[in-house]
Amino acid sequence: MSSTITETHTTIEHGQPHVLKPERSNLGLMRPDHSKSVIVDWLTTVDHKKIGIMYGALALFFFIVGGIEALIIRAQLFVPENTLISAQTYNQMFTMHGTTMIFLAVMPLSSAFFNFLVPLQIGARDVAFPRLNTFSLWTFVAGAIILNVSWLFQAAHALGWFTPGGSAAGMTDMVPAGGWFGYAPLNAAEFTGIGTDFWVLGLQVLGVASLAASMNFIVTIINMRAPGMKMMRMPVFTWMTLITSFLIIFAFPAITIALAELMFDRNFGTNFFRVSEGGQPILWQHLFWVFGHPEVYILILPAMGIVSEILPAFSKKPLFGYSIVVFSGAVIGFLGFAVWSHHMFTTGLGKVATAAFSLLTMAIAVPTGVKIFNWIGTLWGGRVRFTAPMIFSLGFVWMFMMGGFSGIMHSSAPADAQQQDSYFVIAHFHYVLIGGSVLALIAGIYFWLPKVFGKMWVGKLNNWVALVIVIGLNVTFFPMHFLGLIGMPRRTHTYLSGFGWDTYNMICTIGAFTLAFGILLFLIDIYRCVKKGEPAGNDPWDARTLEWQTSSPVKVYNFAKTPIITARDALWEHKYGAENRKITYEKEDGHGIHMPSQSWFPLIASSGFIFVGIGMTMRHAGVAYMGYVAIFGLLVLGLGIALWALEGPGGYHLHPKEDAES
Amino acid sequence: MSDTASASHDEHHNLIVDNKKLLMWLFLGSDCMFFGTLISTHLIYRKLYPEAYDPLTVFSLELTSFSTFILLMSSFLMALAVSAMHKGQIKSFRRNVIGVIFFGLIFLACQVYEFAHFVHEGLTLSTTTFGSTFFVMTGTHGVHVAIGIFWLICMYFYSHTGKMDVHESAVDVEVAGLYWHFVDIVWIIIFTAVYLIEYI
Amino acid sequence: MSDPDYAPLPVSPDTDHSEENERYHTFVNLALALSAVTGIELVLVYLPLNSIFITTVLIALSVFKFIAVIAWFMHLIYDKLLLTLVFGAGLAIATGTVIALMLVMSRSYVDFDAITAF
Repeated sequence: MSSTITETHTTIEHGQPHVLKPERSNLGLMRPDHSKSVIVDWLTTVDHKKIGIMYGALALFFFIVGGIEALIIRAQLFVPENTLISAQTYNQMFTMHGTTMIFLAVMPLSSAFFNFLVPLQIGARDVAFPRLNTFSLWTFVAGAIILNVSWLFQAAHALGWFTPGGSAAGMTDMVPAGGWFGYAPLNAAEFTGIGTDFWVLGLQVLGVASLAASMNFIVTIINMRAPGMKMMRMPVFTWMTLITSFLIIFAFPAITIALAELMFDRNFGTNFFRVSEGGQPILWQHLFWVFGHPEVYILILPAMGIVSEILPAFSKKPLFGYSIVVFSGAVIGFLGFAVWSHHMFTTGLGKVATAAFSLLTMAIAVPTGVKIFNWIGTLWGGRVRFTAPMIFSLGFVWMFMMGGFSGIMHSSAPADAQQQDSYFVIAHFHYVLIGGSVLALIAGIYFWLPKVFGKMWVGKLNNWVALVIVIGLNVTFFPMHFLGLIGMPRRTHTYLSGFGWDTYNMICTIGAFTLAFGILLFLIDIYRCVKKGEPAGNDPWDARTLEWQTSSPVKVYNFAKTPIITARDALWEHKYGAENRKITYEKEDGHGIHMPSQSWFPLIASSGFIFVGIGMTMRHAGVAYMGYVAIFGLLVLGLGIALWALEGPGGYHLHPKEDAES
Repeated sequence: MSDTASASHDEHHNLIVDNKKLLMWLFLGSDCMFFGTLISTHLIYRKLYPEAYDPLTVFSLELTSFSTFILLMSSFLMALAVSAMHKGQIKSFRRNVIGVIFFGLIFLACQVYEFAHFVHEGLTLSTTTFGSTFFVMTGTHGVHVAIGIFWLICMYFYSHTGKMDVHESAVDVEVAGLYWHFVDIVWIIIFTAVYLIEYI
Repeated sequence: MSDPDYAPLPVSPDTDHSEENERYHTFVNLALALSAVTGIELVLVYLPLNSIFITTVLIALSVFKFIAVIAWFMHLIYDKLLLTLVFGAGLAIATGTVIALMLVMSRSYVDFDAITAF
């Protein structure tokens, strides 16, 4: 990868050409730069592109895991009074399906795009805090491990190798079974076992990862834009990243506190949700949904950003109403904090509160609708090309709109009184999440994978992928609108015949397997592209934004020379615009390109979380000395961070040859 | 880090708030929500059940006012430490930081004493909702203080190694100062909303 | 913590440190004011005045202390507006959430029969 570059030592011997050797850090230890081992390179990388690839791969893996959990649910519901899985296992399936899809699939897949694209789109070389970025990745991995190691414990329990004792004695759930929303006190220590502890601690750790990454991206977007890249010249995707990051940093603390209070109730005898001592279950709902509602905007805004890039590219027109689209995104983010109790319309909040939240929820439909009109305005009069990313983006606009309609139906509190806790809700959020987020993320993969790996897509399988997924989505979830309105409640592991639900359920299950087949085709398409694709070139789609000016795959330093931006849609203006709107470049100062050093410490620090999660859970199960294991984990975290601070950022310089991109 | 090498290029067209400072302010904005929900849990339960527990039987307003004053003074010394670092006076910086650490430890000692006293009087984590919210909230604040003290101790020792360049480290000291001041203003809110309110 | 390639940010040279010295005096005055306010609060709660009045004054004094520490000790008044906005956004959302929660949670919805502790 670096065959055309000469690399120089930095720090003391400035500008003296050297064969590349890693340096010692301020701690006296060798930095893991320029490692010959691929594994070491990837474990210690601080390169936002590699981190993005790892997020993406892990997200796709967990998407499959969550998908299998969904298929098991649908298989169980294929016929009435089915006995495929027990009620408890069913609860575990819908809990893990929801938790996995939200926190381990969609959010990390969005994160993959943030990581890979944002520095490229703003003309930067990396994020503001590269090691913090790595820390976010490995902390995400730690959280994913804590959540999913529960399956191993459940299997061990089934085989008779593991029986929890202590406060969890007699409980048989090792995998979380309380729903992705974990309503306390239903998951108190009296009613659930270590499954809930895995869930609480897994989510806490995932929260840390998201918070750290978001703060990193906000600083990057605000501080590290290339010269001339004013805020209103940034690509919409970068704007949506900025807004989503703000949503994350202000929403996650609420769930952090809720989870901490639940953990204290379960493990340390507090009474936050213990009714006999005065605890109020409704408080959990408030705290959770203060987080939970902004969370759904966290899931959809990046998708909207992706679509806002793809539609202009393949209509050969700029985004219609750029400023309004950006402003609408900000309004959605802001209002998203004011509507949480629309998840609680049936809890008896009182007339005034219900009316207030209902009105605000209706209000939030306005900026969303504005965006849809602007996307349509982008297509109108454009020279539309039906490439793979375009097909999925068009599917997004249509399918997300359908999910939005059922959402508006929910916003009316009286109507919601019938719909709440029924399959109608499941229909709504799967339309916005699959028809919305997933379709847009797939569109994004079709659009940017050639940039990531430098290979173009092979053949026209994407048309089949789109067809099968959209058919599968609609066959699975459209009948659920009716299923909900004729009374089928959510989260029931089976149902009796004779309610008129049987046929609908059968159709939904067939649809689910169709959808799964579509995803399988998608994975096959990705494999064909990476293995057998033709070289893509820098700009295979004739696109509009700065990242398409780099090579495919992107060089480690992103841009050989810092670009100076003069317009929005910088690359388009450079290719086809007036002379004064072209991109120019900063002169080199001879120092070369400064690259951040790689580091072990973010990985080491993150590994401490695994000990905390599993230690606290095992402590609840009565295993001896596990509290000390948790404390040990905290010490590893603390020590890792301290050494990370003390080793210093280091860095080295690269000197690319002059014939690099221009 | 990449921001530093290109700082000289980017001065004239970025917003240039120092990266670390912006990061800390973002963290503090997030921490507002964190403490906000924690304090609101306490206030909600006090609103719902004033009869659940009478804290005046255990509160000592003199002790808490003293510890509040101590924390405010530690904040003052922290501001002086930051100021000293900006002027490049490492010795003055060290003196002030030791002061902050010392006052912080006194604050923690007062907290520990107060907690021990409460537990002795029968107010524990499990005492209705009051004990739960009070100890978790003030305990979380105490942990924040402890982390701050640990950070400052590390900074104090680092200042002796000679690797601390006054110009570059001014930002690091300022960032630590921001964290410390924030912990102080959270206490200001807790003092009013948790202690003083009960006396009216 | 220190990068050899760090180029210090272009703040106006303050080589005679007059700016810092002015701030020093501000800090001392502020510290005295904060101590005084804490003393006033301590006395106020013992005075036999109307409780709503006392509550309002306490809240006002807390707001003063809060803003004073943020603006001066934490330098916000000397820094770029962006930092104030960033922190202000978090503060606004937190305050709004606290107020909304306080309004929504009401004693009239509590089932006191279920509570055995008091």
